[in-house]
Amino acid sequence: MSDAEVVLALALGVLFTAGTFLVLRRDLVRVVFGVLVLSQATNVYLVTMGGIGGVAPILGHGGTITDPLVQALVLTAVVIGFATTALLLVLVYRTYQEHGSIDLDDIQGAVR
Amino acid sequence: MATFILGLPYDSNVQPTPDLWVLLALVGLPFAAAAATPLVARALGNRTAYYAAAVAAVCFGLVVTLAGTHGGAAVSWVGPLSVSLGFYVDGLATLVGALASGVGVLVFLYSAGYMRGEPGQPKYYATMLAFMGSMLGVVYAGDLVVLFCFWELTSVASFLLVGHYSDRRDSRYAARKAMLVTVGGGLFMLVGFVLLASTVGTYSLAAMLAEPAATRAAVERAGLLLPILSLVGIGAATKSAQVPFHVWLPDAMAAPTPVSAFLHSATMVKAGVFLLGRVRPILVGDHWTEIFVALGLCTMLVAAILAVCASELKELLAYSTVSHLGLIVAGFGFTGALGSETAVFHILNHAAFKAALFLVAGIVAHEAGTRAFDDLGGLRHDLPITAAVAVVAALGMGGVPPFNGFYSKELLFEASYEFAHHAGGLAWLAPVVAVVGSVFTLAYSLRFLAVFFGERPDTLGHVHRAPWSMTGPPVALAAIAGVIGLGGITAALGAPLAPVESFVGWVVGATLGPEAAGHAASFHYYLPTYVSPAVVMSALAIAGGIVCYLRWRTVRWATRGLLGALPVLRADGWYDGFVYGANHASTRVQRALWTGHLRTYAAWTFVGAVALAGFGYLATGIAVPTAGPTLGAGLTIILAVAAVAAVAAVRAPSHVAGVMALSVVGFAVTVFFVLASAPDVALTQVVVETVTFVVFLVILDKLPSYYGRIERSRAARDAVISVLVGGLVTVTTLVATDASPDAIATYFVENTVEQAGGHNIVNVILVDFRGLDTLGEISVVAMAAVTVLTLIVMRERGETP
Repeated sequence: MSDAEVVLALALGVLFTAGTFLVLRRDLVRVVFGVLVLSQATNVYLVTMGGIGGVAPILGHGGTITDPLVQALVLTAVVIGFATTALLLVLVYRTYQEHGSIDLDDIQGAVR
Repeated sequence: MATFILGLPYDSNVQPTPDLWVLLALVGLPFAAAAATPLVARALGNRTAYYAAAVAAVCFGLVVTLAGTHGGAAVSWVGPLSVSLGFYVDGLATLVGALASGVGVLVFLYSAGYMRGEPGQPKYYATMLAFMGSMLGVVYAGDLVVLFCFWELTSVASFLLVGHYSDRRDSRYAARKAMLVTVGGGLFMLVGFVLLASTVGTYSLAAMLAEPAATRAAVERAGLLLPILSLVGIGAATKSAQVPFHVWLPDAMAAPTPVSAFLHSATMVKAGVFLLGRVRPILVGDHWTEIFVALGLCTMLVAAILAVCASELKELLAYSTVSHLGLIVAGFGFTGALGSETAVFHILNHAAFKAALFLVAGIVAHEAGTRAFDDLGGLRHDLPITAAVAVVAALGMGGVPPFNGFYSKELLFEASYEFAHHAGGLAWLAPVVAVVGSVFTLAYSLRFLAVFFGERPDTLGHVHRAPWSMTGPPVALAAIAGVIGLGGITAALGAPLAPVESFVGWVVGATLGPEAAGHAASFHYYLPTYVSPAVVMSALAIAGGIVCYLRWRTVRWATRGLLGALPVLRADGWYDGFVYGANHASTRVQRALWTGHLRTYAAWTFVGAVALAGFGYLATGIAVPTAGPTLGAGLTIILAVAAVAAVAAVRAPSHVAGVMALSVVGFAVTVFFVLASAPDVALTQVVVETVTFVVFLVILDKLPSYYGRIERSRAARDAVISVLVGGLVTVTTLVATDASPDAIATYFVENTVEQAGGHNIVNVILVDFRGLDTLGEISVVAMAAVTVLTLIVMRERGETP
């Protein structure tokens, strides 16, 4: 019997599909949406890699614990993801102020 | 300190091994002199030529002192790869080395007159000296890597010299062409060298040449004989301008004439045939003969026809050089001593008469102001000495007895006849092609001479006498050619020219395969006094050549017609097609990739990632598991919620609706973390999700509620890309979760309490084991905050434009 997480794999597939589709849009806000969905999905993927069957990685509770290292990594990623999202949003805001548009076709057409 | 790491060659007890310091001085001196040239030129001005000639003379002297030695000397260079700064001295190296430095002296002296008053003299002399050093490096290289480095340096020097008149478009085109063809061929050669070295186990050419039979056996065992032969052959063919790589040499005539005489007739183009002679003892065999006899004779004939079509002096000489290089390649192609004798003797003869003819062409162009045949004639009255030189050299080129070219051509006839007699069948083409090629050779040689005879066109103005600095060098070269020619007559009378014969014999010995070694220690040439097949072939070639010359107009009309019908003979098409085609293609790729649109970059990145990872899975033939343990109901439901919310975010009709859907994704992921036993992550995620939601709403308030209408075709294309990415992630997750690698987590479990005194392992990792990472994380947050402040607050204060 294999250990493959079929349900998780399918859910991650849907999340990545949605994120990719959003990143490819011409509306700048939706590009930010896409980046956000992709980073959420990546975090889920990483936690999945640590194994989701065990108990929380706190000693003294007994049982097999899940991998604490991926959780530490994901925790860091969540915080950094927040910082970059905020920065992205401000950049969107500034772009709108400069160009009067958040349509990438308009903006990048104008730059070239 | 120098360390000698090479074994001694097999006959080191006969001749002393060369001194490493002499070799280093020989190769290093021209480079040092080149570096000093700008300073010297400031002091000497037009007399820099004599400085360069003196350097060349010293090099020639060093070559002569090395002439009695044999074997290798090396300093360790890249030890682990068994690459050394190795040198190797034998007859072949001495011959080509003597040409590179000896012709160098004469060409530099000639330059004193030719380049007088020209701009860019320091650059010219520095490059010429650097070229001479590179050429000596190629010639005396005892290591494949060293050979390759100097080989490419000669290409670079040639590039600079062909493009000497850098403000002229045709010069730049020619320089680029010469560079691309020869350097490109050099890369093929490098691959051949690497194959050879990996089979034999060393890059040391000296070691390979010491045991040619063993080296060849190793190569044959690995089944790499033909690949190595072809790759090295391509290197030699591009450098020596063999068909179809001959395209660069006629264009390279855009260089100043001394450069043409030096690089493009006497030395650099000889590097290719030198290489053939160098590896001949190792690789000679049936394949070798098939490839190089066909290549050489083909080149000899095609280039001779092209030379007949030429309309000016240097173009004729360029094609003639290609043709004669073909003769040398064919000579090396024949197995046995006779072929080697042809090639080696012709290298010597060709260098003498062709360099002289180039210098003659330079004098004519310099004094008469034109190189076109139609404008020239009867120059013997204006330039008597030059005319005499031209007679000796051109008849040598045409292969007329008793001039020097006759003897080597006679050897070619003999070798090709023996070959055909031995092999039979198609091999009979070899002597036929050799004779036909020689017919054209004599015809264009006579055409060249006609510049000095016959009627003087009225359009030709006053022609100056050339200064001695310009007539001296061609006279010296013609004298050498003449003496070699006379040697044939005296030999027929019983008094051979012993120094030339023994020298050529020594050189030939260096190029023989193991089966023929020691076979041809003695070399003789003489004017034939009896009838043999070769004599008949010579007679046919000479008679045909004279007839062709007498019917010049008809012959030229016919050859030009042939060229018009078969433009492939000129072969410019493939070069231009390739270079301009590559340019065109890269422009189109760049336009497709570099649109300035974020979307394009993202799309190509996604497609590239999917293609690479997908290729990896396909190539390793990995099995994708499709079944696994059932997940708890809670996890399944929450994942379904996240997936549905993500789809909703895609389909959301407005930004606010999108943010709502995103929030649902975020909180669903939080619940997933809780269920997946990651409480700390879940806590962080709750806080971050909440704040992100607020920030979104604040920013969205300031943005238009724009929503780009989705075009159907673009949506379909993006959907394909997205599904590909999603599919890849699914496959990756299935494959990755199925595997169970060793976790490094056990280390933390065992050491957390003891070393950090905490029970929550995730917290301990963050603040203790990986504390620096957390510091980095905080720095990122701080930087983002500062940037956000700068972008919003400071702008509102008017501190940025």
